[in-house]
Amino acid sequence: MSKNKWKTVPGIGMLRRTLFLMAVCGIASFALLLGRLYKLQVTDHERYESLALSQQLREASGSPARGTIYDRRLFPLAVSASVDNVYLSPVEIEMNGEDKDLIADQLSQILGLPREEIYEKASRSGSWYVTVARKVERETAQRVREFKNEYGVSGVRLETDTKRYYPNASLCCHVIGFVGTDNVGLEGIEAQYNAFLEGSAGKTLREVNAYGADLLFEEYAEHIAGARGCDLVTTIDSTIQYYVEKHLRQAVVDYDVRNGAGAIAMDVNTGAILAMASLENYDLNDFLAVGEEAQSVVDAAPNAEEAHELLRAFQQRQWRNKALSDTYEPGSTFKIITLSMALDCGAVSLSDGFYCPGHVSVVGRTSPIRCWKDGGHGSQTLTQAVQHSCNAAFVNIGLRVGAERFYRYCDAFGFLTLTDDPDENLSASTGIDLAGESGSIWWSRNTFCSERNLSQLAAASFGQTFTITPLQLVTAVSACVNGGRLMKPFVVGEILAPDGTTLLRREPEMVRRVISEETSEKVRGILEQVVGDPDEGTGRNAAVAGYRIGGKTGTSEKVSLEAATGEKQYIVSFIGFAPADDPQIALLVFLDTPSTETGIYISGGQMAAPLVGKMMADILPYLGVLPEYSETERERMDAVVPQTVGKSLGDAALTLLDAGLRWRMIGEGDTVTAQLPAAHCEIARGTEIILYLGAEISNEKESVPNLIGMRYNDARDMLSSLGIYIHSLSAVLDGESQCVGTQSLPEGAPAAHGSVIEVSLLSSDDDILGRY
Amino acid sequence: MRYDTARLADFSVLRGEERKTGVDRVFLVLVLILLAFGVIMVLSASFPRASYDPAHVTGGRASYYFVRQLIFACAGVGAMLLCSRFPMGFYRRFAPHFTAATLLLLALVPLIGVKANGSRRWLGVGSLTLQPSELAKLAVILLFAAMICRRRGRMRSFREGILPFALILAVIVGLLMLEPHFSASIIILSIGAVMIFLGGAPLGWFAAAFGAAGAALGVLLVFFPYASTRISTWRDPFSSSSNEGYQIVQSLYTIGSGGLGGVGLGASRQKYLYLPEEHNDFIFSVLCEELGFLGAAMVLLLFALLILRGYRIALRCRDPFSFLVSAGITTLLALQVFLNVAVVTNLLPCTGISLPLFSYGGTALILQLAEMGIVLSASRESEPA
Repeated sequence: MSKNKWKTVPGIGMLRRTLFLMAVCGIASFALLLGRLYKLQVTDHERYESLALSQQLREASGSPARGTIYDRRLFPLAVSASVDNVYLSPVEIEMNGEDKDLIADQLSQILGLPREEIYEKASRSGSWYVTVARKVERETAQRVREFKNEYGVSGVRLETDTKRYYPNASLCCHVIGFVGTDNVGLEGIEAQYNAFLEGSAGKTLREVNAYGADLLFEEYAEHIAGARGCDLVTTIDSTIQYYVEKHLRQAVVDYDVRNGAGAIAMDVNTGAILAMASLENYDLNDFLAVGEEAQSVVDAAPNAEEAHELLRAFQQRQWRNKALSDTYEPGSTFKIITLSMALDCGAVSLSDGFYCPGHVSVVGRTSPIRCWKDGGHGSQTLTQAVQHSCNAAFVNIGLRVGAERFYRYCDAFGFLTLTDDPDENLSASTGIDLAGESGSIWWSRNTFCSERNLSQLAAASFGQTFTITPLQLVTAVSACVNGGRLMKPFVVGEILAPDGTTLLRREPEMVRRVISEETSEKVRGILEQVVGDPDEGTGRNAAVAGYRIGGKTGTSEKVSLEAATGEKQYIVSFIGFAPADDPQIALLVFLDTPSTETGIYISGGQMAAPLVGKMMADILPYLGVLPEYSETERERMDAVVPQTVGKSLGDAALTLLDAGLRWRMIGEGDTVTAQLPAAHCEIARGTEIILYLGAEISNEKESVPNLIGMRYNDARDMLSSLGIYIHSLSAVLDGESQCVGTQSLPEGAPAAHGSVIEVSLLSSDDDILGRY
Repeated sequence: MRYDTARLADFSVLRGEERKTGVDRVFLVLVLILLAFGVIMVLSASFPRASYDPAHVTGGRASYYFVRQLIFACAGVGAMLLCSRFPMGFYRRFAPHFTAATLLLLALVPLIGVKANGSRRWLGVGSLTLQPSELAKLAVILLFAAMICRRRGRMRSFREGILPFALILAVIVGLLMLEPHFSASIIILSIGAVMIFLGGAPLGWFAAAFGAAGAALGVLLVFFPYASTRISTWRDPFSSSSNEGYQIVQSLYTIGSGGLGGVGLGASRQKYLYLPEEHNDFIFSVLCEELGFLGAAMVLLLFALLILRGYRIALRCRDPFSFLVSAGITTLLALQVFLNVAVVTNLLPCTGISLPLFSYGGTALILQLAEMGIVLSASRESEPA
């Protein structure tokens, strides 16, 4: 057999058919497969990959550590702590045959949740994530972990979360705000600065098998580190905030204020908000809970739906920051603005005289505008017109300024923004870095500037017929007394990066110069006379011994409300600043609808002024402003009780004389064995204290008498005869004429011998009482 | 008797040649490379499944499937080398016996076979199981090659060239349909057709056969809702991604996740119980995910080279039987590779076809390597390169 013969074995036909098969099976089919693979793996890769990842990855995103909110001295106002969420993985419980009864028993015991509920959750087969408890404290979570490890239960799982804590509970709640369960800020700074505070969530991407269980190796879990949020340093001073809230809350009780109250303390030179309060407060750690009274209303609702609606309404109301969300007619406090613009534009001068016949006629008004004082204030200097808060004089001042100029100044002070449309109602807001600021409401330019009708201008001159926010007023008044610079108010002064370095520092921002330095100085001088003049100043109840305080009272009728209900309601307010010669702080308080039944005349001068006085008395020493007492002040100030125990009678008498106190003795002897009240108490000067000379000290209790309306010295003597003592929180200018306005212990309350009752004093000069 | 004489003559002649030419080294090396690849892929693809599978099956070892596959691979290489040493005449002689034994086993399957997933396809002895359908594929190749050699010159007639072959195929497919085993039937019909095609049967018959197959498919689709569901699942697997389409959708996720370069050997996520049959029929998907398009293309290229080399061996054979057998085995390999990859990439409707040299499974692997051994044996008898 030759080789050639073998070679032909497959034959030409077979060769062809084989080559065909080679082409089909060896080349064409593979080309087809490669084309298909290219499409799946390269062209459509991303689509399939994302689809696959969506089933392979379980994302557990822990909440990021939210930044801390500090007050201006770096006391924490809001902090975040790590907590755990406890959840079950019923699929794994089933897969591993774990004991659902054991899990339910143990978890219900540790977490204090109903056993049946946990058992039901553990039985949800097919689910790999059922939350049992959110934001569980570290200690509790540790117990869950111990249980998990002890019994080797893999179906019980924990994931980290963060929880917001507010160390001061309700202090400054409206400014700080709160976060929801999803750790997003809902109110206040928490909402406004959420983007800075929240940081980025750390994520744990768990790769799981088709049953949702972890893969075989732990390294398959990928942790994407979250970034901690930025810290904020606010301008709030917790201490000032505390003083402000303490006195404001007391005032709400004392004057039975029906509709809440507010206060703003501002650094007049920078616009930094030192304190901002709005009552009623709520506990930031439990921001959903409403006050007892509100809760009882909710509980009394006929059905769940209505109860829910009511609860929502109460919550919205308690979360509302009245200091910047409410608008009101400022009333007489606005006279500071009218005064400033009139002095600045030269419409009036310090030497101008004003005559008040008790009313003033205005073009366009059918009836004359009446001054609050029947019969009028008669002849007054400019300073006296402000001291008296004389409406008639201010109508004249306003008319002298003129409507156009008045509006231009209001624009400059930030009360309104002039537009090109003369028929448009005007508005403005300060642009503070807080959520919820309302805008003012002013008449359109055509209405206000009408030459045939000056009634709008006349009323605006003493703060009526427009509404502004308390924040706008305090910002503008700060400009009036700080040398004429309108500062933009702000609450966050510095943003700190997570590593503690400064990310952003807010420099005080001057919006514009509104009035001249000289005008501002004059305004300061006049306003100091409103408080400092014990004879003519309507704001004298705000005086604090040793300090120079300026300010202005305000009492505004809630006109729209009166129109709606026929009931007269008032907002009484006072805006003060100190020290009057070099202002550092401006402080506005307002009380919305004090009760007519407390016996105190409803006016800014009687209710709000003493309140500002008490606040200033706490704040100014805290700010390091040293008191400078005049000789009379020193003589009238309350005295500090010296230590006499153990001294001879003679020495004790000398010491007491020195301190400005009197005494009576009980017992026979030469040495003081005990004294009432104890040493270092502050009590009214001239009080008769008790020295025990060997006799047994009394520990009886007396019933506190009603002191309200009594002269300070009379109250002092009456109490000391009972063995109880009195201390005034207000400046004691004249114990013979000042009356007790409020008392720290109510009538009838028991008081041990030697206790000290704190009171506030009001000027009792009937002649000057009125709506100012 | 003519047959016997020829056989003896062949023996004596070819024995003389055997010493001159060894096996085709390229073919052998390609087989070994693919086998090594395959075993490694079994390790990678199977260890999650082995970890989750009950301990009484795996003995708690994640390497359970891999170790078994490694043992089978070694046994398979032994079988391949052994088969490469038998002369082709041996296979020609025993082709009828082999076929008869295979038919017997096939007949036994419906009676005593092991049932799984609704089909009875395996014969089991202890932990060893055997799919007689695998044997049937080889039997058809060997028997048809031998028959064609006897009918040299008469293949153009229907009585000689078509009918006997058709009858044998009908018997085998009939037995397979009792299991039922649809994919094996298709492969056996196809490989039978390829054998007759190479044997020189007239092309007109193939046109007729394709027509008949098309009609049969049509009937199948109309009367068997099961089959039409498969078609609609094939067209849009995502519409039923949680039931019928689950397998193929997961396979597409797996393949698509790989991208160009893959997620890395061993790093597949889809093998964590998402992808069913990840170390059997869908092992190529895991390969695609871990090694990416480049890795998958390389493996397909190796297969293509192996197949082209197989045809080259066939073309160099000096007797028709060797030619037919090596071309047949090569085509069988090509057919299985194509069908497997086409199914896992959803080019074709889903059906259970394993990937030669890769998919987990002892008897199939040993048999495939033995088939490679037969091709190597044929290469010994071919012209030296």
